[in-house]
Amino acid sequence: MIVLSPLKKFQFPVIAECISPDIFKGKSLAEIAKLEVWEGNKQRTLGDLFKIEEDKAETPDIVINGDASEVRFVGKAMKSGEIVINGVIGMHLGEKMAGGKITVNGDAGGWAGAEMKGGLIEIHGNAGDYLASPYRGSSAGMRGGTIIVDGNVGSDSGVYMRGGVIKIRGSAKQFLGFRMVDGTIYVQKECGTRVGACMTGGKIVVGGFLEEVMPTFTIDSIKPKVKIDDAESANGPFYVFLGDLAEEGRGKLFVSKPANPHLSSYEKFL
Amino acid sequence: MTELLIKNGFVFDPINGINGEKMDIAVKNGKIVKSVNERKAKVIDATGLTVMPGGVDIHTHIAGAEVNTGRLMRPEDHVKDVVRKTALTRSGVGYSVPSTFVTGYRYSKMGYTMIMNPSMPPLEAKHTHEELNDTPMLDKATYPLLGDWWFVLEYLRKGDLTECARYVAWMIATTKGYAIKIVNPGGLESWGFGRNVRTIDDQVPYFGITPRDIMCGLAKVNKMLNLPHTIHVHTNNLGLPGNYLTTLDTMRALESVATGDKPVAHITHLQFSSFAGNDWGTMRSGAEEITKYINAHNHLTFDMGQVIFTDTTTMTADGPFEFTLYELSGHKWVNSDVETETSGGIIPFHYKRNNAVNATQWSIALELALLVKDPWKMFLTTDHPNGGPFFAYPKIIAWLISKRARMATLKKCHKKAQKLSLLPSIKREFTLYDIAIVTRAGQAKALGLKDKGHLGVGADADIAIYDINPEKIDIAKKYKAVRRAFGSAAYTIKDGEIVVKDGEIVKHVDGRTIWLDVKTAEQVKVDEEMKRRFKEYWTVEYDNYPVFDHYVKVSCPLTIKADV
Amino acid sequence: MVVVKSVTCPICGSLCDDIELTIENNEVVKVKNGCALCESKFLGYKGEHRIKTPLIRKDGKLMPVSLDEAIHKAAEILANANYPILYGWSSTSCEAQRIGVELAEEIGGVIDNTAVVCHGPSILSVQEVGIPTCTLGQIRHRADLIIYWGCDPWSAHPRHLERYTAFTEGRFEKSDWKGYIQKVKAAAGKKKIESAVRRGVVKRPKAQPMLQHELVNAPPPTLMKEGRKLIVVDARKSMTAEMADYFIQVEPNKDYEVMQAIRALIRDQELDVDKVGGVPVEYLEEVADAMVNCNFGVIFFGMGLTQTAGKFRNIEVAISLIRDLNKRTKFVIMPMRGHFNVTGANVVFTWQSGYPYGVDFSLGYPRYNPGETTCMDILLRGESDATLVIAADPGATFPRRAVEHMAKTPLIVIDPHMNATAMLGDVVIPSAFVGIESEGTAYRMDHVPLPLKKVVDPPKGLLSDEEILRRILEEVRAIKAKKMREAEAA
Repeated sequence: MIVLSPLKKFQFPVIAECISPDIFKGKSLAEIAKLEVWEGNKQRTLGDLFKIEEDKAETPDIVINGDASEVRFVGKAMKSGEIVINGVIGMHLGEKMAGGKITVNGDAGGWAGAEMKGGLIEIHGNAGDYLASPYRGSSAGMRGGTIIVDGNVGSDSGVYMRGGVIKIRGSAKQFLGFRMVDGTIYVQKECGTRVGACMTGGKIVVGGFLEEVMPTFTIDSIKPKVKIDDAESANGPFYVFLGDLAEEGRGKLFVSKPANPHLSSYEKFL
Repeated sequence: MTELLIKNGFVFDPINGINGEKMDIAVKNGKIVKSVNERKAKVIDATGLTVMPGGVDIHTHIAGAEVNTGRLMRPEDHVKDVVRKTALTRSGVGYSVPSTFVTGYRYSKMGYTMIMNPSMPPLEAKHTHEELNDTPMLDKATYPLLGDWWFVLEYLRKGDLTECARYVAWMIATTKGYAIKIVNPGGLESWGFGRNVRTIDDQVPYFGITPRDIMCGLAKVNKMLNLPHTIHVHTNNLGLPGNYLTTLDTMRALESVATGDKPVAHITHLQFSSFAGNDWGTMRSGAEEITKYINAHNHLTFDMGQVIFTDTTTMTADGPFEFTLYELSGHKWVNSDVETETSGGIIPFHYKRNNAVNATQWSIALELALLVKDPWKMFLTTDHPNGGPFFAYPKIIAWLISKRARMATLKKCHKKAQKLSLLPSIKREFTLYDIAIVTRAGQAKALGLKDKGHLGVGADADIAIYDINPEKIDIAKKYKAVRRAFGSAAYTIKDGEIVVKDGEIVKHVDGRTIWLDVKTAEQVKVDEEMKRRFKEYWTVEYDNYPVFDHYVKVSCPLTIKADV
Repeated sequence: MVVVKSVTCPICGSLCDDIELTIENNEVVKVKNGCALCESKFLGYKGEHRIKTPLIRKDGKLMPVSLDEAIHKAAEILANANYPILYGWSSTSCEAQRIGVELAEEIGGVIDNTAVVCHGPSILSVQEVGIPTCTLGQIRHRADLIIYWGCDPWSAHPRHLERYTAFTEGRFEKSDWKGYIQKVKAAAGKKKIESAVRRGVVKRPKAQPMLQHELVNAPPPTLMKEGRKLIVVDARKSMTAEMADYFIQVEPNKDYEVMQAIRALIRDQELDVDKVGGVPVEYLEEVADAMVNCNFGVIFFGMGLTQTAGKFRNIEVAISLIRDLNKRTKFVIMPMRGHFNVTGANVVFTWQSGYPYGVDFSLGYPRYNPGETTCMDILLRGESDATLVIAADPGATFPRRAVEHMAKTPLIVIDPHMNATAMLGDVVIPSAFVGIESEGTAYRMDHVPLPLKKVVDPPKGLLSDEEILRRILEEVRAIKAKKMREAEAA
């Protein structure tokens, strides 16, 4: 196990794609310390910016202790191993991740789990915008794996999602599951508007308050409960909407009935 | 200026009939000369290396409004191919629509020294030239899109070829262009209202003229103006199954303009115009029929428009064709019509081996190249980036010189495409001499660039040296080594200066912009009437329309004396 | 006295290039063809807040210095910075922007233009779904349905209607100016009656219902008429809306829902709701009908769409609507770009770096991710350690926290005016007005490049943005070379 502790509070962005179990594997402390990172426009080594120590414990492979809110691209494209962050972590955590596990005991910046293909990310604080969403201009959304956020997430999460599961124990801002194709998103508390806009498939479950369903969703039924994944299902009853009609989509939007009495007007269509 | 002596290389200079002879090339003041003082000159020992004129690309979309919109819409394409700044070179991004600097560097690294940007909306010509200024290492020229320009349509309808020729001359000089580009003639004007033309005898709505009239009219105008290149034609129905018939009609129609053996038209990216079949399900190659015609006639040249299996960005002035691609793919789609002149469209596209249509397209381009007997009629292109990015040229060279290389790729293609492909029946393998024709000499000749594409005394000292020893290796067998060598020139020499060594840029040069100053006996009258008409047709003032001299960084006008 | 014709107006994205200026004693004395904004710029640009000499902050106060000293100081700040940002660019020439990108690359900084606070969202959506568009002349010649959504050209782009859209003569479509005049007359008549009613001269006629409420089941007569139709969609009844054949008032921040509903209607889908964004679905059906049945339609959109809830998704849905419509008829869409050369900034940044704004060169190559590499976000997170602002005034427009960080770190300002940002500056370099006192190129909102003219000389000693930037770049290179030599010697 390698323990990294920032040597100072970073003002400038620190681009640290090298912090990944796949890259650390088989390297000595000295070699790890020489890995390339960028701080603002200056090229540095990992050792310039972090205190690097070895711990006897086998797992996790990497621990980051302290404020890493400016440290970006940690665990990029990682395939195996485990990273634990005790503190806040910067943007692009676990981007393009294919396997392994990342745990954040704190908040994560935007684009966490972007374009994720597999593995597990657990964020015990809040996550920023664009959780599990693709890069600008790309339609390569999350394809597999699981993301669990105990807190709240920002807007535009799960965009172009094609597989996998996102569980949000707190609330989510607008455009959750935008252009979603497949997969499951579960937000337990309040959800911002435009949820599921342009979705063509997949499943979004809203357990809390939702101000308004997109006008281009049509009500289908009321269901008592819905399966999230093998381990979990959510109890309703839920209004089930289909959409987005503007895309002739067949995505399913489950919205808690008890939390949303203002949607009862839809019942007349059942 | 330094003197250079390239000693003892295997020289391939088809225009001067030199086929791999061991000889020296002397350079002084940026030109090829008979000899230099060996003691004063810088000597490049080219023993065991192949020496060719610098590469010339007759058709590559690298600059201007359309290309830049393609750049803008593809951040996800750039992010996978980034280029760092060095002490000598600017940074940028690459892949299918590289930034301008990266475009220049990458061409230069492949030994290219001259490129033609084929698609310039006249109204946005300043933009094209501003980008060409920022495309280093290369000489460049650009073709204004004239086939659907209202002035052309109106004068041709009236049958007033002389007046049409004068306006075309005016337009080429005004936009600092090089040749008459025609894209889906009549189709682009029709696309202004969302329509298209389907045969070369369809009427263009509101204009009472047909694609045949436009192509033949402009081919005649091209002759009257004595332009160095022919008309440069992107056919009607491009990219649609069964279009080889339209292409044959087009080629036959142009016979009427031909005299002697001189080409009167260049059919560009012919692969996209050689589809047989009735729909996408039955689509197959029309290369056999097309090449049969080309082999029997001498009034045409063409370039391949080779497809590369990769993720690329298609962009063309053929707005209706891009709309078809949008309907087929549902991808992000840009359409950009330009008032009074032309249109345009852009769609990202991923050519896949396991897609029967894409694999057939790949095969068609190679069939065309290999079945046309005279290599001087055929040029190597991908219609960058439409068929694939230009830095895939070495791959195409490998397919042309080696049956083994072609079959290795074909083996991985969709089964149906494999079965339909003519490639297994074609034995022909290009020699390095053939390659020198289709990548430089033939292109320069077709373009009428007298100082390019050869190494004779007086030619521009644009030279490429590749690490290929034709005496030592069988290029058909060692195609991978040849591919590597063409991808990374041992030396590129631009205007007598070494700009690339061992595939790395060692000197930054700007390169020139070559354009035609066409002098007609009687010029277009710029009077109040003209300005009024201008105001009616365009939304900018006449005074602000031209590409002023300061928009061209290194200007190289060629004066052309017209017959009218 | 000299008359200069065909001058391009350096104010808004319409970039009218038919302005005639009369120059006397190096001053513009008369403006012909221009709108009110144009006249006030050409006649009033000299104004009171012109900066006359370069300034450097010493002991908390801005003190006059020589140009050389200011350039050197600016270059020193930039050459030594770890994460500098270069912001503005929308009101200067493409030539200056080109050097700006080179400077950003040289210092490993972030270059960003004001698109980020106006039409950046439009660009993000183009990157997601593309954009079917055209040059403005196509609209003049062909459009029979013109829709302004979330913008008010009558106020912000005053000659847009008369030069490019509803009130211009095209080859295939004629001006609707006459229809408008009739409507104005009718409105004047109505006003007269109202005033008569107020004065008690006549009895109040039967209440004139609002346009929207007239048409529960019938299309508004104005949408049935022949020729060009003008529809305005906005959260408030703007000046342009007054002229429209049909005005739809959408609840603020509900444009996304309205647009998406129209998309579904065009696909003949039935909606479970009666109203979307406060607009009855029947009315939206009328609009959908008008869209599908036109020969050539266009939507122009403004910041009413890009900067309200939903931001770039609003544009994405608008473009998606246009994509759908093209399967039925010809339809295009265009952003109403504000600053006269914000389009040019996007164009130049893109050809040099691949990206239109928010380009981060700190890793030695261009990197782009709005939200991460955009100037305002960087300032809000407090990451930058130096700022250069040119041809913009973020000091007046950015959120307070961003401005505070900008003021806390060294700030270089290049501007003709003593604006709010310049007052916070550590180095202030006055520049000539581009398009009046210096020449260059600008791109119209539809990407048509136009030349900017120099019509009068700048005040003595003032350089153009382009020259100032070139000198800073040279100085930065000199400082870096010196540093390198010193490092080698050591």
